Amino acid sequence: MKPDMKILVVDDMATMRHMVKYIFKQLGFTNIEEAENGKDALDKLKAGKFDLVVSDWNMPVMPGIELLKNIRADASLKHIPVLMVTAEAQKDNLMEAIQAGVSNYIAKPFTAETIKQKLDKIFA
Amino acid sequence: MPDAPMNDEMKEIVNEFLVESQEVLEGLDQRFVALEKNPNDTALLNEIFRAAHSVKGSAGFLGFTRLVEIAHQAESILNLLRQGERQVDPAVVDSILEAVDVIKLFLKDIKETGTDAHVDVSAISAKLAATLAGAGSGSGGMAPKDAKKSEPAETAGAEAVVSNATIVLDSIEVELEAEPGDAAGAPLIDSATANKTAPDEITDKGTKSSPGKQEEDQTIRIETVRLDHVMNLVGELVLGRNRLMKLSASLEQSHEGDPLIREVAETLARLDLVTTDLQTAVMKTRMLPIRKVLGKFPRMVRDLANKVGKKVTLELVGEDTELDKSVIEEIGDPLVHIIRNAIDHGVERPDERRAAAKTEHGTVRLEAAQEGDRILIRISDDGRGMSVEKLKAKALSRGIVTAQEISTWGRNEILNLIFQPGFSTAERVTDVSGRGVGMDVVRTNISRLNGSVELSTEEGRGCTVTIKLPLTIAIIQALMVCVDQHVFAIPLTSVIEGVKLSPGDLKTVNGQEVMTLRDQVLPVVRLRRVFDIEGKPQAPMSDAQGELGYVVVVAIAERQVGILVDRLQAREEVVMKSLGDFLGEIQGVAGATITGDGKVVLILDMAELVQTLHPAGVRAGVR
Repeated sequence: MKPDMKILVVDDMATMRHMVKYIFKQLGFTNIEEAENGKDALDKLKAGKFDLVVSDWNMPVMPGIELLKNIRADASLKHIPVLMVTAEAQKDNLMEAIQAGVSNYIAKPFTAETIKQKLDKIFA
Repeated sequence: MPDAPMNDEMKEIVNEFLVESQEVLEGLDQRFVALEKNPNDTALLNEIFRAAHSVKGSAGFLGFTRLVEIAHQAESILNLLRQGERQVDPAVVDSILEAVDVIKLFLKDIKETGTDAHVDVSAISAKLAATLAGAGSGSGGMAPKDAKKSEPAETAGAEAVVSNATIVLDSIEVELEAEPGDAAGAPLIDSATANKTAPDEITDKGTKSSPGKQEEDQTIRIETVRLDHVMNLVGELVLGRNRLMKLSASLEQSHEGDPLIREVAETLARLDLVTTDLQTAVMKTRMLPIRKVLGKFPRMVRDLANKVGKKVTLELVGEDTELDKSVIEEIGDPLVHIIRNAIDHGVERPDERRAAAKTEHGTVRLEAAQEGDRILIRISDDGRGMSVEKLKAKALSRGIVTAQEISTWGRNEILNLIFQPGFSTAERVTDVSGRGVGMDVVRTNISRLNGSVELSTEEGRGCTVTIKLPLTIAIIQALMVCVDQHVFAIPLTSVIEGVKLSPGDLKTVNGQEVMTLRDQVLPVVRLRRVFDIEGKPQAPMSDAQGELGYVVVVAIAERQVGILVDRLQAREEVVMKSLGDFLGEIQGVAGATITGDGKVVLILDMAELVQTLHPAGVRAGVR
């Protein structure tokens, strides 16, 4: 985990993406790109070398779980850690995410500290 | 994050949150009305759920906990609907719509004060809780408080599961390494390919009612200030081009045959084409589909119809018709008023309709279309229509006009009485409309946009209000007129015709100069007098004297007035420039422009001109 690692933030709401970006900036990560749904994310992932994906669950076109499955299915992408952002009511989906290979998850709203803890776990 | 200091970046994020949430909520009203009609449309329900969820999520991050609570309750109800544990009935929809309204209030609060602390939520909270409780006991109806309490516990539990799972999966991975990964991966890769090619279908299914989402990939947000700046520059370019074209034309004349001049003319011709295209293209950047304005109408009609006990179906046609952004901003209020009128006064109550052999549901139809260089918006209803006799009676009883005057009026003039301030034939004033201040304000607002509004009706059958608007307000066609050496521009949209004065045409009636045009009597305004231009004697014109000239007949709605000028010149396309703060408030002047021959010319505002010079004496345009 280096401070200049390339992170992809995926959420259909621009406000959310910017807030996540803001939090990551507080932790010293500034190399961040955005995507607004799973498909957009996949395109970007294939085009560049990303070290981490932070994705929301509910998105149009391609939801988070589909994105996760697609990442894990792609030989060039499957090694990238994926952190899913969930709401408290989505615990049922967690099992599906685990089975699909999620690296970890975080419930919103979250703080910089919580993210740090999750990152430490992912890159331990 | 709630404790983070409000630095610039945070402020920007909050602003973005406000804008985005507002958009999301605006879409919700329409979707709900659609949902009521199709209660089993799960795609729609999911969209609505996701919208509420998004707003809640962002609000949570920004620490707007009171907003989050209301959103959370609404979301819980939506979840019940989603899972089929509650039916989509008007009561449930009402409570969620109210919650949406409260959230809008929260957004306003945040915009004004930076916090969500000032909105009273006791009423809506109780209502939402009641709606939730109405779902009955059981797993689906988990009260929001409980859900929140169990969160930390569940979070911890799930976390343990994940870390355990990771350990388990790690070990499994080692086993899997031995196997060729492709075998297991193949089906997944296939679905990945399928996903790549299928997104259009998915989009169509899920977001059919929100075409905006798919377009989002190809849009960027621009501040209107930047577009205005570009429009301004293009305007200057157009003026420069006009000037060049004129110069080129006179050069060609005076230097006939000169090859260099010829080449300049040809180059200019090309420049002309490009400039015109640029002008059109920039104009289009500011154009938005009228759908934006119409979006709030389904809900408004629903609520209003319920309130006054009528059954109304709203038909919206031509939502894709595009208008300039500033027109869109101004046209909303007039449309609201007209539609409210239609529902409140036009459409009859169900029993009345049945008695009149009509369907119980009245129809209000709003149709927007582009016709040449104008936009037409027609609002029609199949209600009781307007009674010319009633209007006549009201006008007489109000003393607006004498019996003798009104006997000379045609049907149209009587109908146009409704555009008089303070006029309303409603039996009683409701708080919805009927205060009588509506239609005249509607007409004024539309005149300000260089548009016109007309009314037609058939008693017992219904009413139609027709609004005509120009496509753009910055660049207009104008008729150039002169008084002495002063040139003025009259917007062509107001001009009916130009008439050369003959001796004896002008008469004075009740201190007002008039002229007879065919069988009409027109009040005449001397432009010279309006702007105090000296030069020729200003005494009331006597018939014989050489003070002939031209009268430009202009129309504002149904009023017609003649503007007396010395000479008429050509029509020109002018770019309207504001006169700025110092001079901007002059009555009768809409703006100024620079003509092709470099002169500064005032553009006249016909509506204002006509208003200032026609007090009570000459109402509704004497005809």
